[in-house]
Amino acid sequence: MPDHHPATESDRAAGEKPPALPMPPEVRARFDRIYQRPVVFDVQNLSRTFISPQGQSIQALGGVDFKVHRRELITVIGPSGCGKSTLIRIIAGLESASGGQMLLDGQPVTGPGADRGMVFQGYTLFPWLSVKKNVMFGLESTGRGGAAAEREALQWIDMVGLDGFADHYPHQLSGGMKQRVAIARALANKPRILLMDEPFGALDAQTRAEMQDYLLQIWRNVDVTILFITHDLDEAIYLADRVLVLGRNPGHVKEIVEVPVPRPRTPEQMFDPRFTRVKQRVEHLIHPPGEAPKKPLPVIRMTAVGDEVF
Amino acid sequence: MREPWFKIRTPLSGRRRALLMAASFVLPVLLWCVVTYTPAFQTEMRLTLVTEKIGDGAVFSVGDRVAKSYFGTLQDNVRAVNAGVLEARAAGGAKGSGRANKKKLRQLRGLAESGGYLAGVDPADFKAVDAVLFDLYGRLAGGDIAPGAFGLSDENAALVRANWEILQAAAPYGEKDFVKEPLQYLIPQGVSASPVFLPPPGECLAAAWTDFTTEPANGQPWMHQRLLSSLKVVFGAFLLACLVGVPIGLLCGTSDFFAKLIEPFVDFFRYMPAPTFGLLLQAMFGVAGAPKLALVFIGTFPHLVLMLGNTTRGLDRSLLEAAQTLGAKPARLFRSVIVPGVLPRMYGDLRVLLGWAWTWLVIAELIGEKTGLTAFIDTQGGKYNFDRVFPVIILIGVIGFATDQLLQSLGRTLFPWDVSSGAPPRRGGLGRVVAAPACALGGAVAWAVERAGRPGPRERAAAANPGDHDA
Ligand SMILES: Nc1ncnc2c1ncn2[C@@H]1O[C@H](COP(=O)(O)OP(=O)(O)OP(=O)(O)O)[C@@H](O)[C@H]1O
Ligand SMILES: [Mg+2]
Repeated sequence: MPDHHPATESDRAAGEKPPALPMPPEVRARFDRIYQRPVVFDVQNLSRTFISPQGQSIQALGGVDFKVHRRELITVIGPSGCGKSTLIRIIAGLESASGGQMLLDGQPVTGPGADRGMVFQGYTLFPWLSVKKNVMFGLESTGRGGAAAEREALQWIDMVGLDGFADHYPHQLSGGMKQRVAIARALANKPRILLMDEPFGALDAQTRAEMQDYLLQIWRNVDVTILFITHDLDEAIYLADRVLVLGRNPGHVKEIVEVPVPRPRTPEQMFDPRFTRVKQRVEHLIHPPGEAPKKPLPVIRMTAVGDEVF
Repeated sequence: MREPWFKIRTPLSGRRRALLMAASFVLPVLLWCVVTYTPAFQTEMRLTLVTEKIGDGAVFSVGDRVAKSYFGTLQDNVRAVNAGVLEARAAGGAKGSGRANKKKLRQLRGLAESGGYLAGVDPADFKAVDAVLFDLYGRLAGGDIAPGAFGLSDENAALVRANWEILQAAAPYGEKDFVKEPLQYLIPQGVSASPVFLPPPGECLAAAWTDFTTEPANGQPWMHQRLLSSLKVVFGAFLLACLVGVPIGLLCGTSDFFAKLIEPFVDFFRYMPAPTFGLLLQAMFGVAGAPKLALVFIGTFPHLVLMLGNTTRGLDRSLLEAAQTLGAKPARLFRSVIVPGVLPRMYGDLRVLLGWAWTWLVIAELIGEKTGLTAFIDTQGGKYNFDRVFPVIILIGVIGFATDQLLQSLGRTLFPWDVSSGAPPRRGGLGRVVAAPACALGGAVAWAVERAGRPGPRERAAAANPGDHDA
């Protein structure tokens, strides 16, 4: 593999490359192992322009380049509107690219397919199917119905910790449970890559943390590569091998940051200085210091004098 | 703690729902009773005793209605004529005829008939009728029959007695040589009644009972046959519209190609008033059942296609996208996502359209040969027999309402996952009564669907050998 320093490959921030973050040797070795693995997914110079109803063209993505290796967990973070959803939807085949191409195992892909499973931010379980039938949907789509599919579906339901809920309908589940079913449904299809677009965005902090651990456990036990979109900095770093930072106008790869935190991950690691350093780094990439200082809001005083809260 | 009855967007308890549902029917019926049974609202007199034509006044027969304000004038006119008769008699110059006196005798006929005194007498045999009436006159005058119980006013009872003084000379009644000295007229009598367009519920019930239980004259169809024929038109046309419209509507909602090709014309077509096609349909299909079906079809079909197209387009796009990322190809998307996804709302649309089909029925049944309930409404309405019309109109309402309630609870059983319809956790009394058969039916259908969805023997055999699948 030629690509040993992905952290800097697409850095457009001109001039000097930022120094790589100090990394413990076992993490470095892990990254080396990852880069030895074959590239599952290769995004080459991907761009997308939307034509708004008023006829203006909006460039959502301009030349995005990155590679994902087998069984890697890569997270994508960036400011709102920078094209994260557009990127993942193009990869899933739900949107077409205006330029560039993407290769899955070396083959160019067009259109949606069972090889790229997706978990959406909104709840997209089929409300008329029980949890079990939802999980079986992909299997039946690819022509594998019957009792074997049912057994397999039940295994997946167990795997996401929902045994006993197989015959429930989605409206009987909580938000976190729904997303777990959605993950099981996507994984049951044995996709090469699992695309997740802010899947935990609608969950409360507690459930969200639980779901992150669930995801890491599942990923550990299942042969799948994960591309995970989030706008939550902690989530991005906690889950990732590498964090892909997108910039906006148009969407481009600012940097791909290797996370020097060893696995398995635990919530305590969030207070680890290595963790906080990556966090700072990514924070700076998303909101570069000195860029557009915050303007005070033009709010007139509407409280009595002496009633200040601070 | 007492729950408040009025609270914005908060469902009431099952008992309260049931109570309100009952009240929503009881209140209008109560209003109907009040308006028809309270004398203050009864503006007309229904005549029970009439005179022949007097002077240049109008002629009335028993059962006719006059305004209360006019009734007094009518009576006064007759009193004036009686005064003239008495005067003439006193002057000795009274001229009368047996014929005229027999007519006055027949003033009793209406009351005699409703009192059952003419039972067994052939109404066309005037001689026999007159004999009975003459006999009655005597018994009323003599007190054998209490005049009040017979229905005569005190004024008329006195007149009967006065007339009998003269009449008894002719007893026993004989056809020939009837009394010639002029008798006095009985004064018109009537009962207070609600306006003709608002018959009281009791009368309607009585009329409905006779209409439904007695064999109609002239070989007309029985009421239940009329109902059956109307049901055939409504449900026949509706099912036909569904059969054709549902696939087209689904296609329109699924693919922009079909939407743009079909919907503009259908939209245009639905603005053309369906009744104007009546004669055209008659020319095409004859005068029997077919044009009626066709009219209800034309009235519902375009709406069905457009509503269904919109409903289908309203299906959450992300469900389709999710299915695509699970490897579903277009055929499966349609079969396993679009169709089941729109089913509950489509079901709701069809319920609304069934209501419209009933609306078109009335127009349809007037095309060509009038049939069904509408023919009855049309004929009886033309005769102002609204006491016979109301029950039929109400019957249509009841059938429509019951069908809708039935379908609604059937829907809840068929689509248990559809929480958007806001299925109430518990049903009140009426709801439960209506829901019971629906639940049974729904359960049966769900069972059948479930069975059909289970792997057949071949699939099971294949599943037992999973190697086949991994190809
Ligand atoms: N269908 C569309 N038509 C026109 N413009 C679009 C369309 N979809 C996205 N865009 C534009 O593309 C840009 C990127 O949108 P996208 O949804 O990918 O952002 P995002 O990074 O996912 O934002 P967020 O974090 O808020 O979800 C936005 O400026 C948006 O206005
Ligand atoms: Mg987004």
